[in-house]
Amino acid sequence: MDDLLQEFIAETRETLEALSGEIVMWEADPSDRQRLDAIFRFVHTVKGSCGFLDLPRLSRLSHAAEDVLAAVRSGDRIPDTALVNAVLAIVDRIGEIIEAIDVGTALDDSGEDLLIAALAEGAGQSTISGSEALNVASTQPGRGATRSVRLSVDLLDRMMSGMSDMVLARNELARRLRDEAIDPTIESALERLSLTVAEMRDTVTRTRMQKIDALFSALPRMVRDTAAELGKTVALTIEGADVELDREMIEMMRDPLVHIIRNAVDHGIEAAAERIAAGKCETGRLVVAARQSGNQIIIEIADDGRGIDVDRLIRKIAASGDRSEAQLRALSESAKLDLIFEPGVTTKSEVTAISGRGVGMDVVRANIEQIGGRIALSNAPGKGLTIAIHVPLTLSIISTIVVGAHGQRFAISRQSIEEIVTVRGDAVRVDMLGDTPIANVRDRRLPLVFLCSTLGLNGAMPQPELLAIVSVAGGSYALAVGEVLDTEELVIKPAPPAVMATGLYAGQTLPDSGRPMLLLDCAGIAAAAGLQFGRAAVVDDPVVEVAPVKAADSALLFVDLDGVRRVARLAAIDRVEPVPAHAIRFSAGKLRLSVGDAIVPLATVLADDAIHQIVERPEVSVLRMADGRSEIGYVIAEAIDIVTLEHEVMPADEPALVAGVTSIDGDQVEVLDMHWIFSACADPGKHMRAEPPLCLLAGAELGWMDAFLRPVLEASGYRVVTSPDPDQPVAAVLAMAEDHALPAAGAPVVRLRREVSGDGDSIYRYDRAALLEALSARCARAV
Amino acid sequence: MADLFLIARIAGRTVAIGSNQVDSVVDIGEVIPVPRAGHEVRGLAALRSRVVTVIDTCAALGLPPSDGPTARAVITLVDGHHYAVLVDSLEDVAPFATLPFASGVALDGGWARVACGVVERDGDAVLAIDLRSLIPGQLAAE
Repeated sequence: MDDLLQEFIAETRETLEALSGEIVMWEADPSDRQRLDAIFRFVHTVKGSCGFLDLPRLSRLSHAAEDVLAAVRSGDRIPDTALVNAVLAIVDRIGEIIEAIDVGTALDDSGEDLLIAALAEGAGQSTISGSEALNVASTQPGRGATRSVRLSVDLLDRMMSGMSDMVLARNELARRLRDEAIDPTIESALERLSLTVAEMRDTVTRTRMQKIDALFSALPRMVRDTAAELGKTVALTIEGADVELDREMIEMMRDPLVHIIRNAVDHGIEAAAERIAAGKCETGRLVVAARQSGNQIIIEIADDGRGIDVDRLIRKIAASGDRSEAQLRALSESAKLDLIFEPGVTTKSEVTAISGRGVGMDVVRANIEQIGGRIALSNAPGKGLTIAIHVPLTLSIISTIVVGAHGQRFAISRQSIEEIVTVRGDAVRVDMLGDTPIANVRDRRLPLVFLCSTLGLNGAMPQPELLAIVSVAGGSYALAVGEVLDTEELVIKPAPPAVMATGLYAGQTLPDSGRPMLLLDCAGIAAAAGLQFGRAAVVDDPVVEVAPVKAADSALLFVDLDGVRRVARLAAIDRVEPVPAHAIRFSAGKLRLSVGDAIVPLATVLADDAIHQIVERPEVSVLRMADGRSEIGYVIAEAIDIVTLEHEVMPADEPALVAGVTSIDGDQVEVLDMHWIFSACADPGKHMRAEPPLCLLAGAELGWMDAFLRPVLEASGYRVVTSPDPDQPVAAVLAMAEDHALPAAGAPVVRLRREVSGDGDSIYRYDRAALLEALSARCARAV
Repeated sequence: MADLFLIARIAGRTVAIGSNQVDSVVDIGEVIPVPRAGHEVRGLAALRSRVVTVIDTCAALGLPPSDGPTARAVITLVDGHHYAVLVDSLEDVAPFATLPFASGVALDGGWARVACGVVERDGDAVLAIDLRSLIPGQLAAE
C-alpha cells in the first residue's frame, strides 16, 4: 500500500504542476472547455484513487469539485468567478493535503466545509469566497524530500541502447583477444568487465520492466471495497500476473484499469437480487487476465453483469442533443458500442461516489491511445461485458526460446509455448490423417506445422523430431522445429513494414551474438499454415481427447518370473500389488497367495512346483484380477510401464497362457491370455461375495463405535454406516446393551457392553474375536 | 541553390542521393535472411546495436536481383526504421543544384518511381533519387 500511496503522491504532485498553467488559463477564460475537461479529469482521477487508497478527506473534496465541474460541463452551471475560485481553492487544498501525507504531518481540516460550501450555487456573494476559505485553512506545511527520481523513458531507452552497444563491443573485444595468445592479466580484466557488463545490463533491463502484478496486486482489495460499498459480492479472478510490461506502460495502465474495474463492479454487475432474478449466481464474477499475443499485451477485464444497454445509451446521447436518435441508430453495432467512449456519457442515472458520469471511459480511451494501445469491447447484453486493452509490446523484454530451422535462428515467445517435446515412442508421435501429418502428444491430437516449410526454407518435408506445442488464441498446435538452442531474454523491437508484411514475425531483436534474429508470430504462422481454430473447437478440445477406445488397448508391460517381458491387458487387471514371497505357498495342488484370511489362487509362467524360484526373491508383484465371481493373481517379477497396444496381436497356435505376440517398440512381446488363465486357475467352487454385508452402527456409543469399531469391521470385510439407508438392507446392527429404540428394525442386533464380564446377550466391546464371530453368525443367518 | 549530394553507383548507373536522406555510409557484414519477405529485402544486419533492414536495390528497382557480394550500403531512416540500401560503390560527396527533367524524357521501369530530379556533374546528367521510394512497404507514403 505504501508503494501505491507514494506513487499516488508523486503522480498527483506531477499532475498538479502540469495543471497549474491550465488553472490560470481557465481562470482567465472560464468558458474554455478544454481547460475545464483537464481540471475535471484531475479531480476525477484523484477521487478514484482516494476511494481506493482510503483517503476520505481528499475523496470528499474531489467529489464535491467533480460534482460542480460536471454541472458546468453539462451546462447546468455557469462558471462564474466565485465558482472558479472555489474550485481552484479545492485544487490547491488537494495539493496541500498531498504534501501533508507525504511528509506525514497532520493538516487541520477546518475550513474544508467552507471550501465545499463555497462551491454551492450563489455561494460566491453570501458566504466566504473560495480564496478566503483557503486562507483560513492554509497552514503551508514544508514539502518532504523526494525519495525517488522520475526518469523519462527516453533516457532509459538511450541507456538501454548504450548498454547493447557495450555488450557487442565486449563481445568483439573477447573475439579479438581469443585469436591471440593473451596475457592472463588482460584475460582476468576482460572477465571482470564481462561480469560488470552483464550485471549492468540486468539492472538497466530491470529499470524498464515490471511484472504486471504490480498493477494487479491492488485489485483484489479494490474490488472488495468497491463491491462492499455497493452491497454486492464480486469474485475476482486474476490471470497472467507474471506477464512483464514496460514500467511506463504499467503506470499508464493503472488509471484506466481502475476506472474500468470500478465501472464493471458498479454498472456492470447487478445487485444480488437482480442477479438471482436473471438466473445468475448471486456472486458477480470479474476476471482480469493479462497475456501476451504476438507483439501485444492484452489485458482483458470480463464481468458477467448486465452488459451495455445500447438502446438506452442511444436514447441518452440523443437526449443530450448533438445527434438525433435516428442518426445514432444508423451506426454499425460496433460504432454504437463505441458511443460509450463519448465524453460525458453514462448509462447510469444516479451518480455514486464510485463512478458515475461515464467520464471514466473517455479518459480511459485517451490514456490508452496515448501509449499506442487500443481498447475493444465485446458486449453480451444481459450476460456481461468484456473489455480488452491491447498495448504494444514495443521495447518490452520478453523471455524467448531460440529455435533453429534450416540453420537459421528464430525466437519464439516463451509464453506462447506450452511445452517442447521430442517425437519418440508412442506418447509423442506423428500420425497421418490422409496426407496431412498431425501430432499426437500423449493422446492429444494437434495440427502439425513445419517451421521450415512454412518459412519456405526448403520444400521437402523432413521427419519431425522436436515439437514445440504452441498455444494461440483459439487453440494449440505443434510446431516442428529443427532444433531448440537456447532460452534468452530479448529486447524486441518492431520490425519494418516490409518484414511485418509477411505476417510471420512479431518483431526483431539483436541478441548478444550480434546476429539479428526475428521473433516469430505464432498466430501468424498458424494462419500462414492454414490452421483454423473455431471457438467450438476450443470448447470441444479437452473432451474429444478422451478416447474411450484406449482402455481396451492399454496394457501393462512387465518382467515375468522367467525374465521375459510380457504384457497383460490393463482392463482385466484390478491392481498390481507387491507381496512378500512367503505369503505364497504351494498348497492343495496350486500356488496360492494369502491375503489376510483370504486365499487367492495364483498363476505363473513357471511350472507349479517351481515355488522355490518365487520364494528366493525378496519380493514379487502380483497382478490381481477378478471376473466378478472369482479372484486370481498372476505372479510377475516387476511391472515396467503402461503401454498402448497399437500393433496387431498375432495369435498363438494353441490356447495357452500366452494368447499371442505383438510388437512393442520393435520388440516381440507376448500377450497373456486372461481367459485361459482364469479357466485354468480360478477356484470353481469359490464365490466372491457380491457385496460385503452392511453393518449399521447405532445407539448411545455411536461416536466410540465410529472411531474404534469401524476400522475393525471394515478390515474384516464389512461395510459400515451410521445412519440407515432405505435402499441398502442392513445385515446387522451394532448397539450397546442398553440401547432400545433402534433403527432398521428386523435386522439382527449385536449388543455390546462396557464391562468385561456380563451376561451372554451382550459382548464385551473390546473382545474383537467374539464380536466378529457374533457378527458373522448374525449376518450368515440374515442371508 | 545547391544541396549536398552523395554520388553513388547503383545497378551500374550513377545516381545522386540527397545527403539529408543519408544517415551514414557503412560496410555491411553478415546479412541474416528474412524468410518469406519480399525479394527487395535482402535480410537483416546488425549495425552496432541496431538492426537494419538490408534493401536489395536492384530488386527494389524491378531489375534482376544482384547476386554480387553485399558490401557498401547507405543507411537511411524511414519512419523510425533504419534501412541499409545496397550500393555498388560510392564516388563522391559534393553540392549540386537539382534540375528538373528535360521535357519529354520518360524514365524506364523502376527508375521512374525513385527519380526526383537531375543534377549536373562535370557536364554529365546524373539522376537524383529518393531513397524512401526504394523502401518496400512505404509506397503509400509521400
